[in-house]
Amino acid sequence: MIKEVKKRVKELLDSGKITGFLGLRDMNGHVGPHLFCDGGDLEALVLGDRERPGDSRYPLNKQLIHLARSYPEDTFGVLVRGCDERGLKTLSTWNQLHPDKVVPVGIACPQELAEACECLRPYPDEFVCGEKVEGCPYDSVAQLDGIDLAARFDHWMREFEKCIKCYGCRDICPMCFCKECSLESNELIRTGDIPPEMPLFHLTRAVHMAGRCIDCGLCNEACPADIPLRTLYKKVADIIDEEFHYRPGYVADQKSPLNILSQPGVE
Amino acid sequence: MTNSVAELENSDCIFVIGSNTTSSHPLVATRIFRAKQKGARLIVADPRKIHLALMADTYVRQNLGTDVALINGIIHVILERGWQDQGFVEERTEGIEELKKTIQSYTPEKVSEITGVSAEDIVKIAEDFGTADAASIVYCMGITQHVTGVDNVKSLANLAMLTGNVGKESTGVNPLRGQNNVQGACDMGGLPNVYPGYQAVTMPDNQKKFESRWSASLSDQVGRTVSDMLSGLSDGSLKALYVMGENPMLSDPDTAHVEEALKAAELLVVQDIFFTPTAELAHVVLPGSSFAEKDGTFTNTERRVMRVRKAIEPVGDSRPDWQIIQEISNRLGYAMAYDSPEAIMNEIAEVTPSYGGITYDRLEGSGLQWPCPDRDHPGTKFLHKDAFARGKGMFHAIEFMPPAETVDPEFPFWLTTGRIHVHYHTGTMTRNSPTLNAEVSEGFLEINPGDASQLGIREGDEVKVISRRGQIRVKTVFTDRVERGLVFMPFHFVESNANALTNPALDPIAKIPELKVCAVRVEKAA
Repeated sequence: MIKEVKKRVKELLDSGKITGFLGLRDMNGHVGPHLFCDGGDLEALVLGDRERPGDSRYPLNKQLIHLARSYPEDTFGVLVRGCDERGLKTLSTWNQLHPDKVVPVGIACPQELAEACECLRPYPDEFVCGEKVEGCPYDSVAQLDGIDLAARFDHWMREFEKCIKCYGCRDICPMCFCKECSLESNELIRTGDIPPEMPLFHLTRAVHMAGRCIDCGLCNEACPADIPLRTLYKKVADIIDEEFHYRPGYVADQKSPLNILSQPGVE
Repeated sequence: MTNSVAELENSDCIFVIGSNTTSSHPLVATRIFRAKQKGARLIVADPRKIHLALMADTYVRQNLGTDVALINGIIHVILERGWQDQGFVEERTEGIEELKKTIQSYTPEKVSEITGVSAEDIVKIAEDFGTADAASIVYCMGITQHVTGVDNVKSLANLAMLTGNVGKESTGVNPLRGQNNVQGACDMGGLPNVYPGYQAVTMPDNQKKFESRWSASLSDQVGRTVSDMLSGLSDGSLKALYVMGENPMLSDPDTAHVEEALKAAELLVVQDIFFTPTAELAHVVLPGSSFAEKDGTFTNTERRVMRVRKAIEPVGDSRPDWQIIQEISNRLGYAMAYDSPEAIMNEIAEVTPSYGGITYDRLEGSGLQWPCPDRDHPGTKFLHKDAFARGKGMFHAIEFMPPAETVDPEFPFWLTTGRIHVHYHTGTMTRNSPTLNAEVSEGFLEINPGDASQLGIREGDEVKVISRRGQIRVKTVFTDRVERGLVFMPFHFVESNANALTNPALDPIAKIPELKVCAVRVEKAA
C-alpha cells in the first residue's frame, strides 16, 4: 500500500503541485507526524500501521490548519482516511481550510479497522490504495440505547467520574479550532476540580461536537481514562442527523445547520 | 517499582496507599481503571478522600501517620484466617515467627482505635488482598514522608511477601516515582551512600573499581543527606552547596530553617531552567536546559531507560546539565572530555552491572528496563522472580509509632500536604505554563465545613495557618475530602508556602522528613 502512496506523493512534490506533504514518519522506533518536502526523501513515510491497522494516527488536519495559517499562499498534501477527509470537508465549511490549498492523498481502511471504529464510510472519495469495504453501524450506541435511562445515566456518570481533566480529548480533536474554549471558562465549569463538574464538562464538549464531530475517534484513543467519548459523540451525531438530516463531512460544501443558523438573513 | 506499570492492568486486587494516583501519576491510574474494568478489587487508603477513592471497592481514611498499625492489622487478619501464601513464606522468606509475635496484638479492634478505620474494613481489605490471585501494592509519598517512612515501606513488603505477591506478574511493591527521571538520578548514584547501580561506597572493591576507572582517589565514607547538608551549612561544617534542579526553599520542610541554612553558605550555586526562589539566594546561577533542548536518557518509575531527543536548540545561554558539570569539573582540575551523552551512557554501561547491556542503539522505540546486564539481555519486567537480592526475603517485625508531632490544644489541627493535578512539585515549571496556571493559580487550605463553621470563616476567606515553625496566609476551600480535625494544603505555591509550616523531623534511616504530618492552628485572618 505504501508504495502507491509514496508514488503519488512523489508526483505531487516533483511536479510542484504541493509545497509539502503532511504524513507520518517512522523514526527511532516511533511513528510521528512529519512534513515531507522532498520527493526524493520519502523513505521513512508510513501509514501508521504498527501492530494493527491505523493504530498510530495523529490529527494531521489540525496540524494542517496551523501550516495553512503560517503559509497561506502554499498548497499542502495530506494523508487522509475516510474520517480525515470528512474532517477536511467540514473544516472548509467552517472556513478553517481552503479546499484549493489542500491536496488529499487517500487510503481506504481495511475491514478490521472499519469494524473497530464502527465507521459509516471507511474510505475517502478518492484513494490511491486499499479496498473499499462496507461501512459498519454504531453498535456501541445501539447497545447503550438498549438499556433503560437510569442505568444509562449511571453508566455515563461512572465513565465521567474517571476524568482527570487533561483536555486530551479537546487538544487532539481536529475539529476543535476555537480560539477560546468554553471548557476552560471558570464561569461555566469550575476550574481546578478533578473529576471536572459532572456531567457538565463532558456534555458541554459533546454539545460542541454536534455538527462538527467527524467520528475519527482520536479523542477515544487519547483519553488516559478510557472514557468512551467516541460513543458519546456518535450518539450526538445520530441526534443531529435525525433532527437536521446532516452528518458532518459526508457531502462537500454542506454546512452544519448549527453553522447556518447564526448567519444573518437566514430564517 | 518491583513490577511494571502495564502489569497493574491484570491485577486481581490493587491496594493504593498514600498515593493520589489520578492527580500525580495519571497514566498509572489508567492501568488501575482498566484493572477495575476487568473486575479487580480496588482498595484505597488515604487520609483524604482522593479522586481514586470514588471508584474504590473499599476506601478507608486512616489517621495521619498510622500506616504501620493499619498494615499490621491487615497482616493480623490474614494470618488469623490463613489467607497467607504458606508455600511462598516457607520457600522464599525468613523471619515470619518474629513478625507473627509482633502482630499478635494488632487485632482489628485495637488497630481501629489507632487508625480510625473500622474493624470490618480491616477484615475486608485483608480478605480482598489475601485471597486475590495476583495483588499489587501501589504507594507514594504518603507512605514515605514520615518519621516511620522506612517502617511503612517494610510493612508493605511484609504484606506482599506474606501473600506471595512478589516476584510474579501483576503483583509487587510499587512505589511511584515523581519526577520523570528521579529513578534515573538514584540509579546514577545521586544518593550519599552508593555509586551508580547502588554499589555501596563503603565496599572496598567498589571504591577500587571506581578509583581506577576515574583515575581519582575516592572516599569510602557515606556522604551527607539533604537534611545533613542544610544543618551542615548552619553549623559551619559545610561551606558550599551546589543545587541542581531542586528548589529546597519550597520543597523542604521548615522554610525558615532552610533559608537560614542557605544564607549561611559561603558559596551557593543553583543550576535550574527557571529562576527559582532558591536561585534568588544563590551567588551563582547556571542556566540548565529543558527536556526539549537536549539529548540523553530518562529512567522512569518502572526502571525503563528511554531516549530523549533534542527538539530545539537550548534557549539563551542555557546548556545541557552534563556540559555544565563537565566544564565546572575541568576548571576545578579534574579533566572530563565526554563528547556526547552517548559517550557517558557507554561509561555507565561499563561500570554499572544493572545497566551493562544498555546502549543507545538498543533504546530505539520503547527502551529497556534494568536489570539488563549484557547486550543480549532483553531487560527485566519484574524483579525478585526466583530470589531476592539477599537470597531469602526478610520479614521485619515492626511496632507502630505515632508521628513526631501530634495535635494539642494550642495546635489542634492535623496538617497534611500534597499535590494537585495541574502542578508539579514547587511549580517552577507548571506555574510558568499559562494554561496550567489558569486552571489553578493560587494555593488553598482544604478544611471540613464543620470545622470552618466552628471557626466562623466563610468559604474563600483568607485564614492564617500557624505551626510551631511558621505561619502563612491562604484562602480556604470547604470540602469533605478532609474529615474534621484534618486540613490539607498543596505545596506548589510560594505565596502560601505550606512548607513554612511542616515538620523537619526525620526518619532515622532514610533521613526523609515528615512532610505529611504536623500540627497547626487555623485563625481568621485579621
